[in-house]
Amino acid sequence: MIVELFILSILVFFLGILVPLVTAARDQRVFRTAALGCTIIGSVVLGVLSLVILLTGQVFSWTIFQPFAAFSLGFSVDRLAAFFLLLIAAVSGCVALYATEYIEHLDGGSRRNLLCGCTNLFILSMLLVVVSANTVSFLFFWELMAGSSFLLVMYEYTGPDTKKAGIFYFVMTQFSTLFVMLGIVLLYGQTGSFSLAPAGISFLSTAAFLALLIGFSIKAGIIPFHKWLPYAHPASPSPISALMSAVMLKIAVYGLVRFLLDVFSPELWWGIVILFLGTASAVLGIIYALKEYDIKAMLAYSSIENVGIIFTGIGLYVIFTSYHMPGLASISLLGALFHSLNHAMFKSLLFLTAGSVVHATHTRDIEQMGGLVHRMPYTSALFFTGALAIAALPPLNGFASEILIFISFFSSVAVADPLLKVLLFICLALFALTSALSAACFVKAFGSVFLALPRSKESGEAREVPLRMLLGPAILAAACIILGVFAAQIFVLVGLSVPMPDLFLVGLLLLAMAVLTYAFLFFTASRDVRIAGTWGCGTPSQQPAMEYSGHGFSEPIDIIFSTVYRTKMKNERKFFDRKNCIFAEGTADISLMKIFEEYVYLPVARASYHAAKVVSRFQSGCLDTYLLYVFCTVIAIIIYLGWLA
Amino acid sequence: MTFSFIFYLIINTVAVLAIAPLFMSIIKKVKAWTQGRRGPSVFQTYFNLAKLLKKEVIYSSHSSWIMRVTPLVNIAAILVAALFVPLVFVPEPVGGIGNIILLLYLLALAKFFMALAGLDAGSSFGGMGSSREMSISAIIEPTTIIVFAALVFVFKTLNVFEMFITSAATGTPATPTLILLAISLFIILIVETSRIPVDNPETHLELTMIHEGMVLEQSGSNLALMELSSAVKLTLLMALIINLIVPFGLATSLTLGTIVVAAVMFALKGTILAGIIGLFESSMSKMRFFRLPSLFAMAFFFSTLIIIIEVFA
Repeated sequence: MIVELFILSILVFFLGILVPLVTAARDQRVFRTAALGCTIIGSVVLGVLSLVILLTGQVFSWTIFQPFAAFSLGFSVDRLAAFFLLLIAAVSGCVALYATEYIEHLDGGSRRNLLCGCTNLFILSMLLVVVSANTVSFLFFWELMAGSSFLLVMYEYTGPDTKKAGIFYFVMTQFSTLFVMLGIVLLYGQTGSFSLAPAGISFLSTAAFLALLIGFSIKAGIIPFHKWLPYAHPASPSPISALMSAVMLKIAVYGLVRFLLDVFSPELWWGIVILFLGTASAVLGIIYALKEYDIKAMLAYSSIENVGIIFTGIGLYVIFTSYHMPGLASISLLGALFHSLNHAMFKSLLFLTAGSVVHATHTRDIEQMGGLVHRMPYTSALFFTGALAIAALPPLNGFASEILIFISFFSSVAVADPLLKVLLFICLALFALTSALSAACFVKAFGSVFLALPRSKESGEAREVPLRMLLGPAILAAACIILGVFAAQIFVLVGLSVPMPDLFLVGLLLLAMAVLTYAFLFFTASRDVRIAGTWGCGTPSQQPAMEYSGHGFSEPIDIIFSTVYRTKMKNERKFFDRKNCIFAEGTADISLMKIFEEYVYLPVARASYHAAKVVSRFQSGCLDTYLLYVFCTVIAIIIYLGWLA
Repeated sequence: MTFSFIFYLIINTVAVLAIAPLFMSIIKKVKAWTQGRRGPSVFQTYFNLAKLLKKEVIYSSHSSWIMRVTPLVNIAAILVAALFVPLVFVPEPVGGIGNIILLLYLLALAKFFMALAGLDAGSSFGGMGSSREMSISAIIEPTTIIVFAALVFVFKTLNVFEMFITSAATGTPATPTLILLAISLFIILIVETSRIPVDNPETHLELTMIHEGMVLEQSGSNLALMELSSAVKLTLLMALIINLIVPFGLATSLTLGTIVVAAVMFALKGTILAGIIGLFESSMSKMRFFRLPSLFAMAFFFSTLIIIIEVFA
């Protein structure tokens, strides 16, 4: 049954790739809807399949063919893979439902057909990465995923921002593949096989781990490899941002978890490295998010933060495992995995609703929005659910997973090493800072986008989006609520015991208190209501310019964390006289310093540019020279072989 | 869910609602005395609430459903949070009620809604209040979590109920570490309830207001709910300190005698702590907003020190 379902879903996704490719020249809605319909059907089948495996716990593996002994092409789905399949299926289905309407409002004519096909290719490659039974097919589909997502980012290829974003993304994603490949080759050197089997402890496996960690970190957007996220997300269409942020980053998480669980036997310092990367990404990610005024770039930075939280959980898992504390280790790992699922839900919800907002207001600048709660009531309610979830407020799902990581942090009392204990407590403090800052960030986002008065003409004329652009996010919002309120029950259902509070009970108590208060007010308090202007110290009318803007809102945090932001001030002045007394003209420019770009990315880029320049001297373009190279190489090989013999 | 737990839910909510306005008034009274005034009656907060219930509610024409649901969500979240901190009677915990992390995040839930309501009407006072409130709550968070972690460390449990049971069994005086922790908890209380030197609850001057700025647009019964919820929040944080440090009289079994004794003892201890808060506020001046991070950093290093002492002890 499972094999049939699996083949069916793959075939449906294939159909979803073929239909738009065949009809690429014809700009008709029906083909795009058919392709996205395939995505939805494929996702539903995939979702059913993964639920069956998750609930029954059976492992399904399937070898297609085996050309030689060390290598076989096949798929394998265990509970971990099924969990990530469920994540892919849930997000893809909702995104496709949303895109059926969204894509019709995009520019690009029949290019939109290709967008649909490429989306299906992207989803298919991600799901095949997850089900890969060996490292070679893992790498192959990993690269396919990278390539197809690059095409998706480049959809609006004429825009200047898009070109920069695309090239940046392409280089980063190729680095990722390069490091993953290096890791896999090193692993082959250690074990002599391409299977995902235990590799033992040695220098080679440590090197392989580091290479894979860098490869996965680049893909997951871990700081300092994060820079592509805030470029690629604003440039690509919203459903694609949702897919990349909610799903593709999680594929990197899957890769890390899979290799840590099945291949490596992690050591303590690996855990500390992962924990450190995670904590740094979480804190810096959200601090940068607070400063952003482009709504999609803000969500991208917030993804960096959330991946940081997931890495924190994985780091704790490795640390506790190396201390032989399986109970705490499994709570941390479950926290990390559950947060992956939850982040996929609320982040795709936020990206889709942000897409609706951008569609309605024609701007990504949150300072130009405002007042949308009156004009887009349903979208605002959906965005609000996502904001509550991402700010980790009970009883929604963001809290349900963060509390697991909190619990494992709090329980680190049991770790023997006192220095490590202090380190863990410091990471705990930073972790708490992260979640408080993310609450501030989403108060700012929701407040600036949806509340108060519209700050631009477009924002004042915004209209609610059509039904299907609400339906997709609505399903995700429902998932955010269900995964939060029933978190404890879900863990019991899949047969895992975690010491987490019953959020259903808390939800009931919250509801009961609110209802009782309402009833009390209903019978005792005055029911008179008056609508009047906002009090403004006697000013006759309220203007949008008088409101607190997003920048203003985050100003205190900017000042407090000014050392992190590092603004760069440039001013040039010209004077009429020689003694610089009479000012003629001048320019002043205050900009945020791109620390990582200036100190990490550019030096690497410059160094490789210089290296390329040196190497390019060998490339004369003259055939004789190349023949000389070949001749010299042959001589060198002969001498070398003779030496060996 | 046992009978005693349901009884606990009722008794705790009633107790906290009944006593919270009193503590607010006592603080005001003490502050008035130190300024040489007679001050309002200790029942003034009750009268204020009763008065506000009779008034009409005014909404801004720019405001949305956020403004309308915030008072309800706020009071519900704070009352549920109050259930996590037993005032007079500690039952066996049920379903994770009493989890200290959840307690913190229920307070955050109330804060989130309040900050959004501050932005809702588009008034710059509200925006200023929310902006400052969210900034302050973000930078105090590491301290809070470290103090809570230290509590978890000392009591070996995540549950406030079990902490109280342990402290009631150990009795008074508490250990030196706990007294150090109580000082940190006191700083958290001052920050979380927006008191001097962080915020001034008495004034509506724009330079000082944080909490008052956010609730400026609230009126009538909604304002009553907001004021009551900040009183309840004060009481639950006070109860956390009281029942950890001086737990004597705290009822762990359900009989009429012990409950009455516990209630009287709690009211007494709370009155004393409220007096201390009043004196503390009177002896300080409001700090400049951007001086606050250094105050918090002090509290942070203080609580980290406790952890380090505990770790190496």
